[in-house]
Amino acid sequence: MDPNLLTHWQNISGFLGFYYIALALMNGIAAFVVWRRSHATVGPVLLLLLSLVYVGVLAPLAFSADATWMPRMPSWFTQLTNEILGGSWGAVIYTVGSIVLLGGLFVARKFFVRPDVAWILLNASLLALGLSFSDPNFYAIAAKPDNVPIVGLIFLLGFFTWLATSRAVENDARALEGRPPLEKENDEKILVWPDLVYTELICMILLTALLLFWAIGLDAPLEEPASSVKTPNPSKAPWYFLGLQEMLVYFDPWMAGVVLPSLIVVGLMAIPYLDFNPKGNGYYTIEDRKFSYLMYQFGFLVLWITLIVLGTFLRGPNWNIFAVYEYWDPHKVEALNNIDLSNMFWEQLMGVSLPKAPNEAGFFTQLGFILYREWLGIAVTLLYFIMLPPLMAATVFRGFFVKMGFMRFMVMSNLILFMALLPIKMVLRWTVNLKYIIAIPEYFLNL
Amino acid sequence: MADKKKMSVAEILAAARQQDSGEGDATPSPAEAAPAAEEVVESAASAESPPAEEPAPATTMKPGERPSVKDILAMARSGESGAATKPAAPKAKAAAEKPAAAAKPKAPAAKKPAAKKEVAERKTTASILAAARRTSKAGPMSKAEAAKQPAAKPKAPPKPKRPVPPMPEKPAYAIPVEPPEVDQSRRTAMKAAGVTAIAAAALFGSALRLGFTSLATTLSLWGLATARFMFPNILTEPPSRFKVGFPDSFSPGVVETKFKAQFGVWVVNGSYRGEQQLYALSTVCTHLGCTPNWLEAEQKFKCPCHGSGFYKDGINFEGPAPRPLERYAIRIADDGQVEIDKSRRFQEEMGQWSDPASFVSV
Ligand code: FES
Repeated sequence: MDPNLLTHWQNISGFLGFYYIALALMNGIAAFVVWRRSHATVGPVLLLLLSLVYVGVLAPLAFSADATWMPRMPSWFTQLTNEILGGSWGAVIYTVGSIVLLGGLFVARKFFVRPDVAWILLNASLLALGLSFSDPNFYAIAAKPDNVPIVGLIFLLGFFTWLATSRAVENDARALEGRPPLEKENDEKILVWPDLVYTELICMILLTALLLFWAIGLDAPLEEPASSVKTPNPSKAPWYFLGLQEMLVYFDPWMAGVVLPSLIVVGLMAIPYLDFNPKGNGYYTIEDRKFSYLMYQFGFLVLWITLIVLGTFLRGPNWNIFAVYEYWDPHKVEALNNIDLSNMFWEQLMGVSLPKAPNEAGFFTQLGFILYREWLGIAVTLLYFIMLPPLMAATVFRGFFVKMGFMRFMVMSNLILFMALLPIKMVLRWTVNLKYIIAIPEYFLNL
Repeated sequence: MADKKKMSVAEILAAARQQDSGEGDATPSPAEAAPAAEEVVESAASAESPPAEEPAPATTMKPGERPSVKDILAMARSGESGAATKPAAPKAKAAAEKPAAAAKPKAPAAKKPAAKKEVAERKTTASILAAARRTSKAGPMSKAEAAKQPAAKPKAPPKPKRPVPPMPEKPAYAIPVEPPEVDQSRRTAMKAAGVTAIAAAALFGSALRLGFTSLATTLSLWGLATARFMFPNILTEPPSRFKVGFPDSFSPGVVETKFKAQFGVWVVNGSYRGEQQLYALSTVCTHLGCTPNWLEAEQKFKCPCHGSGFYKDGINFEGPAPRPLERYAIRIADDGQVEIDKSRRFQEEMGQWSDPASFVSV
């Protein structure tokens, strides 16, 4: 038995025990609420049993910190996870996996929004979290004061997505039956004062109290004094910027730090202009606005949230990918020999070295040579932005084009193309180790 | 505000109780009460009407009877006695407590002056209001009632005016003197002179002098302090030229990291394009400016921010960094030591690494 592991278990046994007691309480309360609402017996009894397991088995075992009985993830599972996520394909598997997972949730949403299913999923994920805490590497990441909000964020996001989706599913079912949506049927007005203001006041007080206790309980994750010659390893942005930081792995700072973030803001601002669909106004629905829904959720959940989670839990020293149960070894080698598209074209395909202007050439000759060197990338980019919108208008988005008119459609298609740059670039980096499509470091222009 | 107009339940109750117990001696006669009620109603409607100090209507009149002009005149003439027939505007406590007014024995309707005085002192505004309301029946009333109640007229009887003594002749000194004709230019000139005088006074002569002088002093001191703040008392950067030792202290193939913390350079004795050179690499990542680390085992510089990697010669090969690390100028100084000059940089992608100032051949 690894003595370090034992010390870790002794250190966290109190916390874990109370964690399981909290889970038991959660299920007990749920049992009571279900029983009060429906007077059914099966559900509450099952919930009570679950709660008894938590409080009667898992909590005492966790308190004991016993070498054989400590509740923990089975080792085959942790090893498998490390193999899959920690390997050189970790980022790919993670990203593709989360897209598949979210897509599956979306396709089978009628099943997953059922309260019993959702509750089972919640319990499963909370239990998995508790079992994973027994792993010191996982605990070091997940319980770091920096990362506690992200653990909370995952669950909060899950809850709100579930809430919206379940209402949307119900409304869509109602629409099929010809009934009005939930929100329209029950749209009794209430007063701002006192109903809304009181609610807000109570929320404000509770949140302030929560923040106070949080601030007292968890020390601020301060690091050593800043120094221009030493960067902590790994150096992580604040959690809400981890998506941007992940974008920076694939792009030049100009693109990922300035152009794309501004376009995100501009694109969000343009939504009222682009989205002329009056349906879904004041009620949740997916069927009535599938395209908007999917676009938004792709941009938000896939391109923002999963990147934050990736940056938090999977990025380790030297910004390498580490699986969640893996030790952060700063000497982990990850072979990434990235090359530009121009290298590919000239050196690998044509078998010559990059065209290069003679050293004492004038400005325009230099520029001409640079453009010549990068012609393929420039051509591809121009084609991408100039050719694709008309193509989209003529094929998949024909209906949109007719309805939206030229200007609106152009704005929308260009925003979508910019958004698609990130996944495209990620895939190219993973598959062919492409660094930049256009690489003009002389003028800080890289794409 | 609304509270002022409406009576609370408690107040009404209190008033009722008082009414019950002190009816006998405390209630003003109906003749008195009716006009009072009107007064109250009116002043309640306009909560800001000042406590009336004018005399109330003559109490000898029947309720609802408009005083004739003659009466008013007579009252006005009788002066104080007429004005004091009744405490004016019972709403105002001050007025109610005026014993002089309340106790005037001349008022024919006042029953017992002494008692009245006492009552007037004891009564609160609210109770008076309540009493008044009860007499004139608060709340909606039927048409019959309205017809029966001549007192509830919307308007209070006109209040007699205090006699105004005739204006005396204007004394000579009060008659405005025609200003002498001044033409416009002269007037402007005078104005300008005035302004100048004020300015001069401000600077040199008057009480303003102190204020403006101290203001100016403060401002200039503040400006000086700000200027000083821009030049802190430290050297923000190490000198851009520094010596790192003799060339033979750098063995081939070794990346010297000990100057990183102070000067931000790696001194490398390595090969670039097949040539063995001594060069100084900047420790700033060409991606977003983090500080990479030299990993001896992997023989590469690795940036902790987004994972850019550089070979020993500074060429970027992994991660997002778009160009190689930069070199600083390096040379052998006169005393034989290696001297690095951080004020000059050499970028590989610009073909500057072939510049002999960017390396020392070893
Ligand atoms: S700053 Fe070095 S990789 Fe981004």
